[in-house]
Amino acid sequence: MILLQSPCRYLLQVLSTRVQNLDKGVELDSQWVEFDDVRYHIQATVKNPNLLLLSLSLPTPPPETVFFGGLPQGAIEAIKAAYGVVLQVLDPPRDGYNLTVKLNLSKLPPDEDHKQAFLIKIASIRELVQGAPLRAVFKQLLSRGVKSDLNKIISLVHRPNESFFVFPQADKVTVIFPMRFKDSIDTVLATSFLQEFVEARRTAGLNNAPPCLWSSSPPKELEGSPDEALSANGGFVSFVIFPRHVEGRKLDRTVWSLSTFHAYVSYHVKCSEGFMHTRMRRRVETLIEALDRAKPDSEKPKNTEQTRSFRKLSIKDGRSNSNAK
Amino acid sequence: MDSGASRPAVVIDNGTGYTKMGFAGNVEPCFIVPTVVASNNSFLNQPRPNSTKNSNWIGQHNAGVMADLDFYIGEEALSRSKSSSTYSLSYPIKQGKVDDWDSMERFWQHCIFNYLRCDPEDHYFCLTESALTAPESREYTGEIMFETFNIPGLYIAVQPVLALAAGYTTSKCEMTGVVVDVGDGATHVVPVADGYVIGSSIKSIPIAGKDVTRFIQQLMKERGEHVPPEDSFDVARRVKEMYCYTCSDIVKEFNKHDREPAKYIKQWRGTKPKTGAPYSCDIGYERFLGPEVFFNPEIYTSDFTTPLPTVIDKCIQSAPIDTRRALYKNIVLSGGSTMFKDFSRRLQRDIKKIVDARALASEARLVGEIKSQPVEVNVVSHPIQRYAVWFGGSVLASTPEFFTACHTKAEYEECGASICRTNPVFKGMY
Ligand SMILES: Nc1ncnc2c1ncn2[C@@H]1O[C@H](COP(=O)(O)OP(=O)(O)OP(=O)(O)O)[C@@H](O)[C@H]1O
Ligand SMILES: [Mg+2]
Repeated sequence: MILLQSPCRYLLQVLSTRVQNLDKGVELDSQWVEFDDVRYHIQATVKNPNLLLLSLSLPTPPPETVFFGGLPQGAIEAIKAAYGVVLQVLDPPRDGYNLTVKLNLSKLPPDEDHKQAFLIKIASIRELVQGAPLRAVFKQLLSRGVKSDLNKIISLVHRPNESFFVFPQADKVTVIFPMRFKDSIDTVLATSFLQEFVEARRTAGLNNAPPCLWSSSPPKELEGSPDEALSANGGFVSFVIFPRHVEGRKLDRTVWSLSTFHAYVSYHVKCSEGFMHTRMRRRVETLIEALDRAKPDSEKPKNTEQTRSFRKLSIKDGRSNSNAK
Repeated sequence: MDSGASRPAVVIDNGTGYTKMGFAGNVEPCFIVPTVVASNNSFLNQPRPNSTKNSNWIGQHNAGVMADLDFYIGEEALSRSKSSSTYSLSYPIKQGKVDDWDSMERFWQHCIFNYLRCDPEDHYFCLTESALTAPESREYTGEIMFETFNIPGLYIAVQPVLALAAGYTTSKCEMTGVVVDVGDGATHVVPVADGYVIGSSIKSIPIAGKDVTRFIQQLMKERGEHVPPEDSFDVARRVKEMYCYTCSDIVKEFNKHDREPAKYIKQWRGTKPKTGAPYSCDIGYERFLGPEVFFNPEIYTSDFTTPLPTVIDKCIQSAPIDTRRALYKNIVLSGGSTMFKDFSRRLQRDIKKIVDARALASEARLVGEIKSQPVEVNVVSHPIQRYAVWFGGSVLASTPEFFTACHTKAEYEECGASICRTNPVFKGMY
């Protein structure tokens, strides 16, 4: 898996199972959390198997970011437009959540393919809600009419108490991510990952991708933003989005990739750590094998199970460990 | 972000056959997937770049990176390996123990990022291990969890203890009992007193779900059912899960089948994986002979012939004398292979027989003395026993004590992986 997908796998599974077993609808009450602290809660009763209550909570916005009615700007309109009669927004939402909707499964499109596509769309509700403001900015970029709010920085929340920034201009939109990591090793890996990421953008095959820059200090667009927003131990990544990047069907993909960019980077940092560990374990194994070969026969351990811990890389450890067995 | 104590803990029970994963506080795991990894090894045998001057190093490097990302787990892994020969399967867990740490790490990676889709830095983790896992294995687990995934806290629980905790969600939590965990790769009978495993009395049986499947596969083959060989294990497993039941007496059951074949013989329909042509076959005696391997193992193997009820009785008899009555009273089933219809009833009857016979014999020896109180035998079965271990984890990991019983990342960094060797049994378990 290279990219994070937008539909929530578990939500999709719950919905599909429910739709397939409407006649034996069981009691359902389940909650879970996705990356960037997006929380879900789903509830259904035996009495009304067609009705599901789905609640969504978003990461808490930092002071510089504003929500409208507890949601990112334009989210409610986006939901109504996308789901029509299948879904009804409840006001107020369930305690502790930003949004609660009532899903009516009996109003799903009847034919199987459309139904499945619609369920995937419901499972992607997070993309729709979180991405609403960014989508609006890109739509304006595409439109030929008068544009408002140009050259003013907009902040959008993507992780608890952390925002990324959008700087709309007449012909392009700059999106800037302050990259923050908790762990020192992560920070180092992420910084080199990002530099390579920027480097890779320059190779021939990627000429059409959005230009992308990394710098350790805040870019000039962020001048005047509050200090907390300007400290990032992993530096700043900016993408320049032109109309061609958000045309037609590319819009949704671009919105999702940008809204989850930080999660994407952390995922790949974790993967690289995993792979380094794999290599290190292999190295330890070959070292221990070499040591075992060098021993006189009488000393050879009977048990072939070895320590695979890469923490115990030192030769001394390797020897004492295999002797102990 | 704050550390994960404000969010539900992630609970993952990695079994030989299936992994159960989800969030604490829920009654069901989010996913139950086969514990298998399909990795693409077409890149693997390519020479590694040995000099950066090589003009194509970026290409080779990318190929390596792609290979590292190109793998699947669970059902997806099985279907990929069926449809393409570039993927090869590895089963990271053998007989309840992690056998291949590289695959295990990849498997966890997908569980976390692709299935649960959570950020491991945001959640405490509750993992499980079999009662016979070596302490080293816990260290590796800790190493991977803390170093690769940066989790804030880890608790590694013993599977049977969790299975016991699963039965007692209500008021009083009785943590004394015998857990009979029959999974896919191993069967363990584990006595637990006050939340502590009585290690010296653990009994293991080399017969579990996989063997039942093999036995059914063999029975169907011997009868000449036309199942495509590459599919026969999978078909046998499905047949087992859908149609098998525990009978009370083999001879009577044979007679019943012979008298009313229409009632007892089932049909299996499938399509051949290569040609797509449909086929069908009969399912007969294997319906009750499959589960019978636990009660009469000699019908399947000559290597191990002690019936499960006898093993359970021996296990309890070897436990400290003051715990035995409590143990007989609370024999808890756990694992997918205890799901056969009437399994608990048969087990209870057979154990009761052994116990009563012993009581009778000792009464005969002690004529005239006070009659001993009859021993109560109780085999507990509940609807969630398929994933009782996971459910127990879910219950425990949602108590506030859980977070204090976990090893934290800070402790790990201070003392190293050896802290993972033990995890305290905590108050939430009583
Ligand atoms: N309804 C059912 N009836 C009978 N057997 C079943 C049923 N459902 C699952 N199984 C079998 O249970 C086994 C899986 O059980 P479980 O998930 O408890 O094992 P595990 O935890 O993967 O293995 P282990 O505990 O040995 O490491 C498989 O062999 C599966 O075929
Ligand atoms: Mg198990």
